[in-house]
Amino acid sequence: MVEFKVKAGLAQMLKGGVIMDVVTPEQAKIAERAGACAVMALERIPADMRASGQVCRMSDPKMIKEIMNSVSIPVMAKCRIGHTVEAQILQALEVDYIDESEVLTPADKVYHIKKNNFDVPFVCGARNLGEALRRVSEGAAMLRTKGEAGTGDISEAVSHITLIKEQIQHALSLSTEDEIAAYAKELRVPLESLKDLIARKGQFPVVNFAAGGVATPADAALCMQLGCDGVFVGSGIFKSKNPEKLAKAIVNAVTNFQDPKKVLEYSTDLGELMFGVSIDSLKEKEKLSTRGW
Amino acid sequence: MSVTKKIVGVLALQGAFIEHIQHFSRATENGYSKYQFEFLEVRTEEELAQCDALVIPGGESTSMSLIAESTGLLEPLQEFVRTKPVWGTCAGLIFISKRVENGKEGQRILGAMDIQVKRNAFGRQLDSFVTDLDFSAFIPNLTKFPTVFIRAPVVTDISLSKAPHSYDVDSIIESSNSYVNTGPVEVLHKLENGLVVAVRQGNKLGTSFHPELSDNYSFHKWFIDEFVI
Repeated sequence: MVEFKVKAGLAQMLKGGVIMDVVTPEQAKIAERAGACAVMALERIPADMRASGQVCRMSDPKMIKEIMNSVSIPVMAKCRIGHTVEAQILQALEVDYIDESEVLTPADKVYHIKKNNFDVPFVCGARNLGEALRRVSEGAAMLRTKGEAGTGDISEAVSHITLIKEQIQHALSLSTEDEIAAYAKELRVPLESLKDLIARKGQFPVVNFAAGGVATPADAALCMQLGCDGVFVGSGIFKSKNPEKLAKAIVNAVTNFQDPKKVLEYSTDLGELMFGVSIDSLKEKEKLSTRGW
Repeated sequence: MSVTKKIVGVLALQGAFIEHIQHFSRATENGYSKYQFEFLEVRTEEELAQCDALVIPGGESTSMSLIAESTGLLEPLQEFVRTKPVWGTCAGLIFISKRVENGKEGQRILGAMDIQVKRNAFGRQLDSFVTDLDFSAFIPNLTKFPTVFIRAPVVTDISLSKAPHSYDVDSIIESSNSYVNTGPVEVLHKLENGLVVAVRQGNKLGTSFHPELSDNYSFHKWFIDEFVI
């Protein structure tokens, strides 16, 4: 088995970077030229999946392979939640990271993939501390917020980041073994994983990126200021009128997230951005972030 | 007793820069009563100007290069490497080299060491690995260092006397920096299969691997002792 350090290590190298969804080799090249630290290869971006109303599965390996051959940065690909065989296929294809993603239609309504059994590292979404620690104990080597993919509305990602931070603070405030055990039960996580988090002073053993609804350089910088290690941008870039410029602007805003003058420069004259769907207009069952357990 | 202040910068455009800062902090906690250290994240020309030495961390070498260029830091970096000590790890090794194999159009490099470096030399993430290496030939008593290689580059040429050959010429990137490093290139470590993974040329150090991901601070301490003070 590959050591966990090697799996989590690649995610550490991606920090301070932007991972972009791409559907063609041409888009992958644009992303690479703009300074993306990795790309997510998929058949349809979340905004289009959301619009289709169909079952969304792992992309055709042929298309993922074409993207792997077209760029030299790491290539990630998505499999359905709990779909161990799709993950095995992606590992056989030798993608650099697998995203067990709520954006696709879940294959298992109870369990996620046992990620410790794989050599390829996994990234998983989490909208609260319980999900985050469950994914880590299953073997995820990288976390991301779920946000609400394909909307261009950052509010769900922000609330996931804030909630996880509050829950970590709460965990750190617990003083007795009994309280810790009770909170582990409430979060539905193994006691050991909560204890480990407390021993690490609230730091996850893996990096945590923002994802879901990032559409502008300001959105990306906001997530960084809230403490994320980097940013996934899905539909935002290639649903805008000037993807190349926007991609570069988001990359630069993530590097200089603490410098408002620079973020001002990167936010200026980007042309028409992605259309956007307000999360409040979605019915509960239309939300992708509610998928995963 | 007078105390000398040293500022070591870590380039923070993208990648694992915090890990280096944490390792340096721990490596210098004790035994340096004559020095006061500051470890600084470097994103701007002003921050770079304060530094006595610079570490270029692991990350994506294309991202780092493109961000350096689009944020106006490329030229100050090319100037910095002319005089100051610099250590590049993984993507940083690529960034400080004079020639890159398997590079990308538009990728710019600093030309601080007369070496040719091949990106992703071992392959994809599934080919990443950890192995214990013996560095005692250049770091006293460091006989077993857990060494992490992640999509790592290797040094494929240390003379650069000849033109690149036998590979895809389109993927060769040459540095535009006119700086000439006059020191000899020393190979510090080769793997058993002959691949060169650590090199030194004067006050420049390049490693394919990630000492900042190991739980051992000896490599960082050695950089401070040998290159900074």
